[in-house]
Amino acid sequence: MVELELTVNGKACMLKIEPGERLIDVLRQRLGLTGTKEGCGEGECGACTVIMDGRTINSCVVLAIQAHGRDITTIEGVGNRIRPHPVQRAFVEEGAVQCGYCTPGMVLAAKALLDKNPDPSPQEIGAAMSGNLCRCTGYDKILRAVQRAAREVTGT
Amino acid sequence: MEFFQPQNLTEAVERSGLDTCFLAGGTDLVLQLREGKAKPQVLVDLSRVTELKYLTAAGGCLEIGSMLTFAELGGSELARAKANALWLACQSMGSPQIRNQATLGGNLANCSPAADGLPPLLALGALVRLVSRRGEETVPLAELLSRRPLLEVGTLIRGFRIPDQGWKSGFAKLGRRRALAIARLSVALAVEREGNQAKRVRVALGAVGERPFLSEALAEMLQGREMNEAWLEDAAAAAQQVVASALGSRASAPYKRVAVSGVMREAWASLAGGEGTACG
Repeated sequence: MVELELTVNGKACMLKIEPGERLIDVLRQRLGLTGTKEGCGEGECGACTVIMDGRTINSCVVLAIQAHGRDITTIEGVGNRIRPHPVQRAFVEEGAVQCGYCTPGMVLAAKALLDKNPDPSPQEIGAAMSGNLCRCTGYDKILRAVQRAAREVTGT
Repeated sequence: MEFFQPQNLTEAVERSGLDTCFLAGGTDLVLQLREGKAKPQVLVDLSRVTELKYLTAAGGCLEIGSMLTFAELGGSELARAKANALWLACQSMGSPQIRNQATLGGNLANCSPAADGLPPLLALGALVRLVSRRGEETVPLAELLSRRPLLEVGTLIRGFRIPDQGWKSGFAKLGRRRALAIARLSVALAVEREGNQAKRVRVALGAVGERPFLSEALAEMLQGREMNEAWLEDAAAAAQQVVASALGSRASAPYKRVAVSGVMREAWASLAGGEGTACG
């Protein structure tokens, strides 16, 4: 066992883990943060996306111990039903959620983009979301939702 | 499995051995650990070794640390100016999430036939800096790729050295989709120009065989000639023969043999500074 210290959604966490444990398993099983979804389990689909030190990663191909000392944001840290993040609100308003399985990863990818670039072009949105697969929506509504969230964030 | 996080290069090298495995970004290794394909007793995590994270132009070379991520390289104007083919490969490798985590050193150590970083490094004439308890060794990537196994036990990839010879370079890959695509075929091309002459040429192919390789035949045929429409058409046609002989009777051969011509034209069109547009 090794000691893992990390910040998750603004909270300092300390736990003992096996070195081979993946970040997604620690988040879901040890910390109970089941909003992070496992899709393909091999870094292809982006359902397990979380933000580590401001950058998106696939938590299914990163060991938890690689997050030692780092700052993690999961979907639970973005917003909730009462106080949704502008990206979450825009996803609902644009109908960008169908089965919903890819949505946490999509929202985090969009949030990471808007945190760095509040006024992205459609091409920049497409590039930033290119690591997240959706098998329901056909992507149009997702891209529109990100544009809508950007307008809200920048107040235009 | 134990976990060891060295704070510097010396510690990393001293702790390495038969029962250890170096961990870079982990995007390939974490899967191999899970599938039981890698079973190290000790995982040596290189993330805190700052000596492996550098990007500089010094002494007529571009120096790239092995722990630089694809996102870091792909966001670097220096890399774009000095190593366009590699910079281009960094834009399309994996996905944003993978590029944020995966490293160039890990790309070589894993050495997939479809590794996106390797054809550009080959075309750019990169040298690889290796370090082990026996000392340091700098070896051309093309030579390293002929070794079996690629790396001796306890050998760490310290970084890459790309001679800055003013060559123009480009890269193109063919995947089943634009994002998140494993290369089915990739071509990296580097040209030393003199006026409109291709004085010297290096062409590297990926995903046509066990490891990416430089094609001597293509280089010989293309250098010392004027770069014009005929030159490009010869390159596209000759690449077909190279792919056909490399793949033999593999199931993908008929497809890749034809497809390589288009990938070659795209690689040419991507040459830094718009040189590729001269041939349409």
